[in-house]
Amino acid sequence: MLGAAGLMPLAAAGCGSPETISEDPSELVMWYWNRSASPELLDQASSAIPGTDKHVRADVIGTNFDTKLRTSLAGKAYIPDITYINSNNALYFTNEDLFLDLDELGADAVKSDFYEWKWELGITPKGRFCFFPLDIGPTGFFYRQDVFEDAGLPSSPEDVSAAITTWEDWIALGAELKDSAGSFLVNDAQNIFEGYLNSSPERYFDTDDNALYLEDGSAVRRAWDVTITAIEAGLTAKIPRDRGTDQNAAWSSGRTAGNIGAAWWTQILAESAPDTEGSWRIASQPVRAGNNGGSFAALPHTCKDPEAALAFLTWINSPSNQALAYEDVQLFPSTPDSFTDLSYSGTFFGDQDPLDFFSTAAETVPTSFISAWETMIGGSFTFEIANVETTGKDPDQAWADALSQAERVLTKRGVEV
Amino acid sequence: MTAAPPAIARPDAPAPAPAPGRRDTRARRRRRRRENLPLYIAISPFYLLFAVFGLFPILFSIVLSFTDWDGMGEISFVGLAQYQFLVTDDRFWNAVGNTFIIWILSTVPMLFLAMAIAFLLHQNIRFTPLYRVAFFLPNVTSMVAMAIVFGSVFSDTFGLVNSAMTALGLDAVPWLSSPWGIKITIAAMVIWRFTGYNAIIYLAGLQSIPTDLYDAARVDGASLLQVFFRITIPLMRPIILFTVITSTIGGLSLFTEPQVLLGDGGGAGEAGMTIVLYQYNQAFTQFDFGYGSAIAWALFLIAAVFAIINWRLVSGRGDGPARRPRARKDSRR
Repeated sequence: MLGAAGLMPLAAAGCGSPETISEDPSELVMWYWNRSASPELLDQASSAIPGTDKHVRADVIGTNFDTKLRTSLAGKAYIPDITYINSNNALYFTNEDLFLDLDELGADAVKSDFYEWKWELGITPKGRFCFFPLDIGPTGFFYRQDVFEDAGLPSSPEDVSAAITTWEDWIALGAELKDSAGSFLVNDAQNIFEGYLNSSPERYFDTDDNALYLEDGSAVRRAWDVTITAIEAGLTAKIPRDRGTDQNAAWSSGRTAGNIGAAWWTQILAESAPDTEGSWRIASQPVRAGNNGGSFAALPHTCKDPEAALAFLTWINSPSNQALAYEDVQLFPSTPDSFTDLSYSGTFFGDQDPLDFFSTAAETVPTSFISAWETMIGGSFTFEIANVETTGKDPDQAWADALSQAERVLTKRGVEV
Repeated sequence: MTAAPPAIARPDAPAPAPAPGRRDTRARRRRRRRENLPLYIAISPFYLLFAVFGLFPILFSIVLSFTDWDGMGEISFVGLAQYQFLVTDDRFWNAVGNTFIIWILSTVPMLFLAMAIAFLLHQNIRFTPLYRVAFFLPNVTSMVAMAIVFGSVFSDTFGLVNSAMTALGLDAVPWLSSPWGIKITIAAMVIWRFTGYNAIIYLAGLQSIPTDLYDAARVDGASLLQVFFRITIPLMRPIILFTVITSTIGGLSLFTEPQVLLGDGGGAGEAGMTIVLYQYNQAFTQFDFGYGSAIAWALFLIAAVFAIINWRLVSGRGDGPARRPRARKDSRR
């Protein structure tokens, strides 16, 4: 029975298994995944965390990171002293007591180094600062300059940015692209829906658990309307993201000429569509930049030495070390000062400097709040968006279904809306 | 007539001894236990591992199905709420429907194909061992590699199948984004993977049919078709039932094919969402372990109904179970 896997820790609970992984009092065990930290910096920390007499043992946790972390927390055994958490940190809000409030340890001291919106994403609804900022994912509109040029559309990043300051303008540009070049604006409608919401200060809930998405003219509803307009204008290629091979083929062939992507997508694109080198540019997406992805670090309540652990986090995320991590594993820095040390030398985006673009875009990302409940119901909306896109479902029916599905899920999980 | 010997004595039974004392029995029992101890130890690893990784999770999932748990916080008891949600959950019933459609779409052609292949392999042709290996090979191929190949072959816009179809003047089919396209693609993956496996089992069955039956039929002037339907099929019946049962188990627990092909979401409109994939989705991407467990037990009930139907089919005619081949259990899942 598959559903039963991963429930073993309960057996371990109370059987005298140690809470922490390492018995060495000067060794802090950290869990992370590949390419979420600079190996060079981890190597330094493995001998000593600067300014302390502790050192870090970094363990790469492979797939199912969240399941493994939950397992150790539920079993109260073999819990890491420091853990990285992906951009889905809101999943842990309902159990925030399992993590230490870093403000109580003095994390405030470095707050001004970071983009404020990123710092805010690490604060729980109760106002505790549990999730320390690692990297970020400011977004922009990637497009094929060659296809835009052939279609007689604005093609330089400045011109495209100027032409798509609103979502309506962006859709109008997509319609022209479709007419004259036969290319799609994006691969799937979900890209638009999420691209909109990720750049919106308002999302599904506020910090007091009010269901904002139910209100008239909510950001979710506006994102929905923009997405439906784009679907009905036939601007999406109807290739969902779980079919990466098809998506890549569409971008390589120019059949799809754009994508709302985050800074980390530059590298993915360069690797998956190497033949298109020099053809891509990035323009500012409509209204303002959003954020998509970017990780956090947290200290479980069992952490052996919270002061040393926080010292490690502030050290490895200092502006200069984040610059180093960018050069090492392309983690996009969450500290604006990192960019003074960085320069871009690639030619994938022609003469455009994506580092310069995204560091500027990061300044405009709004402060927003991602609720734990959003992680439960967000899928209902993207699922219905996909239904409208691929099966031609009636949008009004789809919206009603998304709402009722969301309500059912929330009710089942004990959330009143 | 005193002390008549028992009418029926086991031939190897020891001569009746004078009534043994209590201490004797205990000693003998202890001795037997000591003699058997190595045997118990030898078989214990399986039972220990099964208890820890099989039995406990199964029992614990019963408990969990009556609770709400996100995998790390408090486990709160909610009674039958998960099951109440389940019976009114459209997504669950959609998954049930998908599972059965894909099961029928895959099992029926697969077993016919397997029978045809087995029949051909049973003829006196050259390189039979080579063919057997070739047909069995898909069964041991990496599923992930296979999903990439199938994803490319059935790709809507860039796929081999659609290129071939448009070359032949047919319309391209959105294999991976339409409800039926998705189901047919998944069924094709299942057929590709398990036809050879079933063919090998059928071949074993064909080879166990005595040739004198065929000789006698030929002497009596039976045609090839008559031979096939009057001799081969009736004698193969238990084997066919066996493959139907294993295919039912595999079909109901279908997970890997849709997951690697379409991801955790089951594709457009959840057209490729199967019961087990939905269960996985709820437990390990939504972290709703209570509901995931409830789905698991609902699947258990459905599987139990089918097990009973199968059992009736097999035991109804009396000749079934005795002739069931001792084939390896289907390793699907």
